[in-house]
Amino acid sequence: MSKFWKKIVSVGVAFTMAGTLLMGCGGSSDDSSDADSTDADSSESTASSSDAKEVTLWHYFENEADDLEEIVEEYNQMQSDIHITVTYVARDELMNQYTIGAVSGELPDIGMVDSPDMASYVSLGVFEDITSQLEEWGELDKFYTGTLSSCKDSKGNLYGLPNNSNCLALLCNMDLLNAAGYEDVPETWEEFEEIAAATTNAGDNVYGFSMSLIGNEEGTFQYIPWLYAAGGSVADLSSDKSVKSLDFLSNLIAQGYLSKESVNWTQADAYNAFIAGKAAMLESGTWQIASLDDDIADAGTDINYKYCFLPKDETYASVIGGENFGVCTGSEATDECVDFLTWFHSAEKNGEFATRSGKLVVREDAEEYNELIEDERFAVFSDAMEYAVARGPHESWPTISEAIYTAVQGAAIGEKTAADAMAEGAAVVDPILEETPLPEQ
Amino acid sequence: MKKKRSMAAARKIEGYCFLLPAFIYLLVVIGYPLVYNVILSFKDTNVKNFKAGTSVFIGLDNYITLFQDPTFLLVLRNTFVFTIGSLVFQFTIGFLFAMFFSKKFTISGPVRGLLLVSYMMPMSVTALLARNMFGTTEGVINDLLVNIGLISAPIEWLTSTSTAMIAVVAANCWVGIPFNMLLLTSGLTGINQAVYESASIDGANGWQRFRYITLPLMKPAILSVLMLGFIYTFKAFDLMYIMTSGGPLNSTDVLGTYAYNLSFTQYEFSLGSAAAMVLFLCLFVVGLLYLKLIAREDD
Amino acid sequence: MMKTGYFKSKESRKNIIYCIIALLIAICFLFPLYWLISMSFKTDVESFGKIVTYYPHKFTIDPWLKNLQDKDFLVSLKNSFIIAALSMVISLLLGVPAAYGMGRYKVPGSKGFLLTFLVTQMLPASLMLTPMYLIFNRVNLLGTYFAPPIAIAAGSIPFIVVTLRPYFKTIPTALDDAARIDGCNVLTAFLKIMLPAIKTGIITVLVISFLNGWNDLVYSMTFNVQAEMRPLTANIYKFQTKYGTKWNAIMAYGCILVLPVVLIFVFLQKYIVGGLTAGAVKE
Repeated sequence: MSKFWKKIVSVGVAFTMAGTLLMGCGGSSDDSSDADSTDADSSESTASSSDAKEVTLWHYFENEADDLEEIVEEYNQMQSDIHITVTYVARDELMNQYTIGAVSGELPDIGMVDSPDMASYVSLGVFEDITSQLEEWGELDKFYTGTLSSCKDSKGNLYGLPNNSNCLALLCNMDLLNAAGYEDVPETWEEFEEIAAATTNAGDNVYGFSMSLIGNEEGTFQYIPWLYAAGGSVADLSSDKSVKSLDFLSNLIAQGYLSKESVNWTQADAYNAFIAGKAAMLESGTWQIASLDDDIADAGTDINYKYCFLPKDETYASVIGGENFGVCTGSEATDECVDFLTWFHSAEKNGEFATRSGKLVVREDAEEYNELIEDERFAVFSDAMEYAVARGPHESWPTISEAIYTAVQGAAIGEKTAADAMAEGAAVVDPILEETPLPEQ
Repeated sequence: MKKKRSMAAARKIEGYCFLLPAFIYLLVVIGYPLVYNVILSFKDTNVKNFKAGTSVFIGLDNYITLFQDPTFLLVLRNTFVFTIGSLVFQFTIGFLFAMFFSKKFTISGPVRGLLLVSYMMPMSVTALLARNMFGTTEGVINDLLVNIGLISAPIEWLTSTSTAMIAVVAANCWVGIPFNMLLLTSGLTGINQAVYESASIDGANGWQRFRYITLPLMKPAILSVLMLGFIYTFKAFDLMYIMTSGGPLNSTDVLGTYAYNLSFTQYEFSLGSAAAMVLFLCLFVVGLLYLKLIAREDD
Repeated sequence: MMKTGYFKSKESRKNIIYCIIALLIAICFLFPLYWLISMSFKTDVESFGKIVTYYPHKFTIDPWLKNLQDKDFLVSLKNSFIIAALSMVISLLLGVPAAYGMGRYKVPGSKGFLLTFLVTQMLPASLMLTPMYLIFNRVNLLGTYFAPPIAIAAGSIPFIVVTLRPYFKTIPTALDDAARIDGCNVLTAFLKIMLPAIKTGIITVLVISFLNGWNDLVYSMTFNVQAEMRPLTANIYKFQTKYGTKWNAIMAYGCILVLPVVLIFVFLQKYIVGGLTAGAVKE
C-alpha cells in the first residue's frame, strides 16, 4: 500500500511542479520581445540599456501594412523617446481584443479602429482622452469635420486622430453601357434605373448594378448614400424619403437589375462581380482603385471603366469611411504616443501616407502633398467627400447599424415592404437617438 | 471486517485520485467563466455604463427582456430546430454508415477513413465551402439539382428565410455524420460476434438481431453520442456565423451567434451573458435527462 | 483473393456489391471535398465565373503557391502542431484517468461528477473568452503556447470522459483480478492492462482531441496576439480581406490544413483496423 501512496504523492508533486512552472514561465514573452519579427528592419530592442520606451501599435491594414511599417520605422529612427512595434491583427480579432481589453486592461499603446466603431470604444474606456495635448498642437482646425468627429465623444473630447478617409462612388463599365446604347454615366436615379435595366442581361447572368447589402456594418455603409440622397436620414428612418430610398433599391432587386445574393455579398464580392464582367455598375470605394487595373488584367475582361458620383435623387450623397488611430488607456507613454500621432498626421506625412497607400487625406492642407489627386479617379472620390456624411459618431452605433441593415435586408429579400421594414428600424433607432442624439452633420 | 471496510475505502480514494485532477482542472478553467457570466447576467452592464462602473444588479430583468423579444424567441426556436434536425440526420445516417462499414469487405476501411475528412476540416473552411456551394446562381448544388432535373429553377438557399436553415443543417450534417459514425463504430465493435451467432441459430432475423441485440448493447454508446452531439450542436457558432452571419433576418441565428452579437457587437454585455445562460440552462436540463437515462443502465 | 470461380461464390458477390455501394456513398458524400480540391486549382475568374465548371478548365497551382510560399507558413505550421499536441496531451493526461475512475470505481457522487463534466461544456466559447483572458492574464500565460491548449483541453476532457466511460465499464472484472494476481498495483494495472484493452477508444479520443487543438481558431487568436504565434487556422484572414474573398486560395488553404491530420490518421488506421478485428477486449 505504501508503494501506492508513493505513486499518488509523486503524481501530486508532478502536478504542483507543472503548475508552478506554468505560472512562472509565461511572464517573459509579451509584445515587446517580438520586435524583430514584425518590424522589417528594426534592430533588436535591448530594453535594459536604451531609454526608448517600448510602445505597441496594433492595426488591421492589409495591403497598406508595409507602408505603415516603413513610416513607423522612420519615426523610430528619428527620435529616441519611444520605439514603436507594429503588429497586424485581423480586424474582427482586433475589435474583440479591444472589447476584452476594456475589461482586462491589456491594451496596446496605440490602436487603429474603424471610424464608426470608435465612439463605442471611447465609451468603454479603451481610448485615452487626449484633447488637451491635441489642442496644444493647434492644427485641429485643418482637419475635415466629418473625419475628426469620429474621434470624439458626445461631449466633444478627442481620443485620437483620423488617419485616412474614403467614400463611395459609382464605377461604370463603359463597354456594357455603350453596348446598351448609353454614352454617358447616369446622374439621377431615373437615369440610373434606366441604364441598369438596359444593361441587365439575365441570359448572360449580367446584372445592371452590383452592391453589398450584407447583414453587417458593410451593408449599412453601402446603403447610407442612398438614404441621404433621397433626403432621408438615420434620425428619421420612417420618413417617406427614407422609405423611398429603400423602396428604390428593393425594386432594383425585384426587377432583377441587382442580384438578390447581394444580401450575402461583402463589398469585395460585389467588386468581384463587376471585375468578372457580371455587373455594369458598381458602388465602389476608394480603396478599390489601387488594385483595379491589376484585377481587371488578371480577369482578362479588359473593361473600360469610368468613375462618377452615385446618382442623385434630391441631392448627391456619399458616406465617409476610414480608419482612426487612438492612444489607449493604460499606456505608459501617452504623451510620446500623441507626439507620434501628431507627426504622422502632419500635412506632409498624411499626404505622403495617402499617396503610398492609395487613400484620401483627412486634412485640407494635406491635399497638396497627396499625389493621387492628379489621378482623375481619386479626384472623383475627393470631390464626393463634399457630399459624404459621417456615420455617427454614437456609442450605440452598432445597434443603430444593425437596425438599419436588418431593415434593408428585410425589404431586399422581399419579405417585408420597405415601409414596414423602415418602421421596425425606426422603432429601434428612435429611442436610442432620443437619449443621445447624433451630432450635427 | 475491518480489512474489508478499509479496502473499500481505499478503493474509493483510488477512484477519486483518478478523477480529481480533471475535475479540479475544469473547475478552475471553466468555473470562473461560468460564475462571471452568471453574475454579469444579473446586472445591466452595457457600453453606456461600463466605463463608469455604475451597472447595478437588476435581478431577472435581462431574462425578462430577452423572453419578451420576438427575435430572441425566434433564435431560441432556431437553436432547437437546428439541433434536433441535425441530430436526427447525423445520428441516423451515421449509424447506418457505422453498421455498413463494419461489415468486412475489401474497401470498407479506407472508405470509412476517407469519410472522416469532412469532420477533420476546420469549421471555417467548411462554412465557406458551404456558402460557395449553396449560392443561388453560381452555386454548384443548384446547378446539379437543375441539371438532374429535380428542380426547375435555382433555390434561393441563403437569401430566403425559409431555406437558409435547411442549408445550414445540411452543412452541419456533413460534418457531424463522420463524428457519429466514428463513435458508433467503436461501440459496435464492442459487441461480441458470438452473441449474434447464437441469435441466428435461435432463428432471429436481421431486424430482430438489430432490435434486441445491437440496440440494447449499444445503448451506452448511443447515449453518449446523442448527449455530446446535442451539446456541441446546440452551442454551435462558427458555422452559421461564417456561412450566413445568422441571416437572412435572423433565420439562422442561434443562441451562440446571438449571444456573441449581443456581447461583442452591441456591447450589451449583460444581455449577452443572459442569453448564454439560457443556452446553459437548456443544456443543463438535457444533461439531467442524460444522467437519468444512464442511471437505469448502470444498475 | 482472386480464385477461379470467384464470381460464383456468394461471399465474393456480396463483397463486390458492398464495394459498389461503398463507392457510391463515397462519391456522393465526398463531392464537396472534390469541389474544394477542384476549386483550389481554378483561376480567380473561373471560380467566380458565369458558369459552374466541374473541373478546372484552366488549371493553376497559383492558389497553392500563395499558401505555401507565404513567409509565415512554416511558423504557422509549427504553431498549429504545438498547440494541437499540447492540448491533446493535457486532455489525455487528465481525461483518460477520469474516465477510468468514473467507469470502474463506485465512487459516491459520481453522478455529480459526471454532471459537472458535462456542465463545463455548456457555455459557448465566445462568452468564456473574456473571463479566461482575465485568468490567463493573472497567471501570465498570455502570449505563450500554454494558454490556448489549456482552454481547448477544457473542452476535450469532458468529451473523453463521456466517451471512454462506457468502454471502461465493459471491461470484465476478470481482468482486474488477473492484474492483481500478476502483482500489479493500481497504476500499473491501469497503464498496462486497462488502457490497451480499450485501444480503439483511446485512439478515437486521441485523434479527436488533437483535432480540437489543430482546428482551433478563437482561443489561439484571442490569447496570442503576436504574429509569430499564430496557427495555420489564422491564415484564413489572409484570403478574406477587404479586397476580395479569394475562393481558390481559401480552398487550397483548407486542403493544406486537413492534409497533416489525414496523414496522421492514415497511419493510425492500421491500429484501428487491428483493434476492430480483434474486438474490444482481448480474450
